Amino acid sequence: MKSQSQIVSRTLVRLHSSWAVAACGVTLLMCVSGCGSTPAAWFRPNMVEATKQRLTPDQERQVSTVMLAMFGTPDAPVAPPETGLDEAKLQLAAGPVHSDIVGRKNGLYREHCAHCHGVTGDGLGPTAAFLNPYPRDYRPGVFKFKSTERSDKPTHEDLVRILHNGIPGTSMPSFALLSPPKVEALVEYVKYLSIRGETEIALMRAFFELDDEAQGKLPETREFLVDEVLTPVTEKWKSAADALIAVPEMASDLDLAASIAKGKELFYGDKANCVKCHGPTALGDGQANDYDDWNKAIVEVSKEVKSGLERAGETSTSGMDSEALAEHRGQLAWLDKFGRVLDGGDALRPRTIQPRNLRHGIYRGGRRPLDLYYRIHAGINGAPMPAAKGTVPPEEIWHIVNYVKSLPYELDGELGADRPMVAKDRF
Amino acid sequence: MSYVNGLFARRLSGAQCAGGMLLAVAAVVFAGDASAEEWGTIKGRFKFGGTAPTAAELKADKDVEVCGKHKLVNEELAVGADGGVANVVVFVRDKDVKVHPDLVATKSEKAVVDNASCRFEPHVLMVQTGQPLVLKNSDSVGHNSNIATLKNPPSNSLIPSGGETTVTFTSEEAIPAQLTCNIHPWMKAWLVVRPNPYGAVSKADGTFEIKNVPAGDIELQIWHEKAGYVGEMTIKGKAEKIAKGRKKIKVAGGDNDLGEMVLDANLFKK
Ligand code: HEC
Ligand code: HEC
Repeated sequence: MKSQSQIVSRTLVRLHSSWAVAACGVTLLMCVSGCGSTPAAWFRPNMVEATKQRLTPDQERQVSTVMLAMFGTPDAPVAPPETGLDEAKLQLAAGPVHSDIVGRKNGLYREHCAHCHGVTGDGLGPTAAFLNPYPRDYRPGVFKFKSTERSDKPTHEDLVRILHNGIPGTSMPSFALLSPPKVEALVEYVKYLSIRGETEIALMRAFFELDDEAQGKLPETREFLVDEVLTPVTEKWKSAADALIAVPEMASDLDLAASIAKGKELFYGDKANCVKCHGPTALGDGQANDYDDWNKAIVEVSKEVKSGLERAGETSTSGMDSEALAEHRGQLAWLDKFGRVLDGGDALRPRTIQPRNLRHGIYRGGRRPLDLYYRIHAGINGAPMPAAKGTVPPEEIWHIVNYVKSLPYELDGELGADRPMVAKDRF
Repeated sequence: MSYVNGLFARRLSGAQCAGGMLLAVAAVVFAGDASAEEWGTIKGRFKFGGTAPTAAELKADKDVEVCGKHKLVNEELAVGADGGVANVVVFVRDKDVKVHPDLVATKSEKAVVDNASCRFEPHVLMVQTGQPLVLKNSDSVGHNSNIATLKNPPSNSLIPSGGETTVTFTSEEAIPAQLTCNIHPWMKAWLVVRPNPYGAVSKADGTFEIKNVPAGDIELQIWHEKAGYVGEMTIKGKAEKIAKGRKKIKVAGGDNDLGEMVLDANLFKK
């Protein structure tokens, strides 16, 4: 059965009620607590970004109100028409796991994905902390394994493929057993969470750019919320299909052994420079103390909080005038809040990213030569791996692909200059 | 509660529209001011308030044969012998400022960041939207240039020895974007992406100059990589709070010397 709250909020939305949205939220909450059905799920605000931007509680509320109006709740998602999202698909994926028609199950996202990716898509599900790599946080809208240029969004088909294949070598499972309509619904829901998360980040960052006259209030006009904030996000999703990487066919009469030899030269040479990160042995032991974008963000704020606390500890308050004292206290309160946000479940402990051990032959983004071409051409978005595009011409990228494909089988005993290969290296 | 409410109600408050139009009309009237033909130069000097720390030396742990030969220092805070603070960014925050005819061409001139001696040269660079930014590599080792823009699509390209690649930005960035090399993690630089040529980066002696700014009221914004948007400074001997590094000034024709601006040592302790 649909929960009362869903019906209420959906009706409100459909009625295009002109009530204050905050009031609508309150009604929703009251009903849920009063109706005794499944507890309402809520989208966790992006507290790391909110705290980084030093938002006041009032500003956090402004963002939550706009987010509620634009995107609804996990039980009753809505999507502004500008997003191009299909609400019917979202309904199928959203909400608690339940069935109101025999043979049709709703709540797919919470059934299959939320324990890793979190109800909010923030990568903070209950199992997340135990996994390596961590499940993807969709909110920055950054995806790794796709057929589009580096900074572009994945296509619909890319996401379908990820769900179909899973991500080998990580905990992300394959959902090949789900029916195509269910996969469609889940893909739509991933896009929804991603667009929602990006919009939230954009809103939180917008306070900084406000003019003084705005007095810390975001404009609640359509020009601002849709044209300035939402549209730049949705446009990128809509143009993904136009951003496909053009892949010339590998020459059909290519001499494989010669191609592998050329690829090897490129791999260890200065132009493609793969060796710098993947190491002289291709075991992924080159540049190993870097972070991906998600972890780097946390590393940076943690540093700021740590040094801020140290400094505050050294600061003597004697002799401060009342204004300086108030500022000092404000800074302490902010540091304290940030400390709590970072330790209190809004962020995971940062981990470095290991360049892939290419002797394993396990490729997260797919093992077709085409997949490797995409990875090398565009690099890996969100990860340190740079794009070879523009530097390495297509035919040479194919040589590198062939060499990479040969690496797990390169059994001549020589692993570059360092040492002979031992069986363990391959597992 | 206009759009947010209207999202459901599908109606926009007419009153607000009218208000917006009035403002727009006022802006047009203001822009038509006769002073538009006058242009001024904004200049000044940033000075460090306190004893400047010496920049720590960095040790190259990658490509040591090449990078180890260069003296590398932490460039986050560069204070000259006479207390001048280098690499402080000052730009005109207003987006629709009129651009002096002499400066129009600067948008098509190449801006260059070189990977040289295992560091980025320059450390902080102003670049305009639409202006070609060339990332080149004069070193004998390969680098990559990872640009962490927020509004523009981020990019990360391999740049082999002797190679180069060109990027352009379509939107301005409210906060300067970091440029790093993942192969040599000590390498860091900053790109200040602005919609017009009105910005400058202070030189080694702390001085800066922004030429040919249209006379009238403008808002400057002041940023430094360690201090962030500079919240306070002592200008001509007077302590001043400038929230978010924003300072409104009236530009007159000719020289507008802001004088010595002292940035307290505490601002840089991050
Ligand atoms: C057991 C944990 C787990 C479950 C369950 C799970 N994922 Fe993932 N997922 C991951 C991990 C871990 C990654 C990150 C892999 C990486 O970064 O290499 C990931 C990454 C992704 C990505 C990003 C792919 C890219 O190109 O960047 C998408 C999309 C995704 N998952 C969707 C889903 C959906 C939809 C579901 C439910 C149908 C789901 N996942 C269920 C662990 C999980
Ligand atoms: C700056 C460091 C860096 C450089 C240079 C680099 N890589 Fe990577 N590479 C990485 C990292 C880090 C990963 C792991 C990314 C992840 O898991 O998200 C990776 C992953 C890979 C993968 C695995 C893709 C998959 O689907 O699992 C391949 C293949 C690869 N790199 C090949 C190359 C080749 C070929 C080159 C040279 C053209 C190269 N890399 C240059 C850092 C680098």
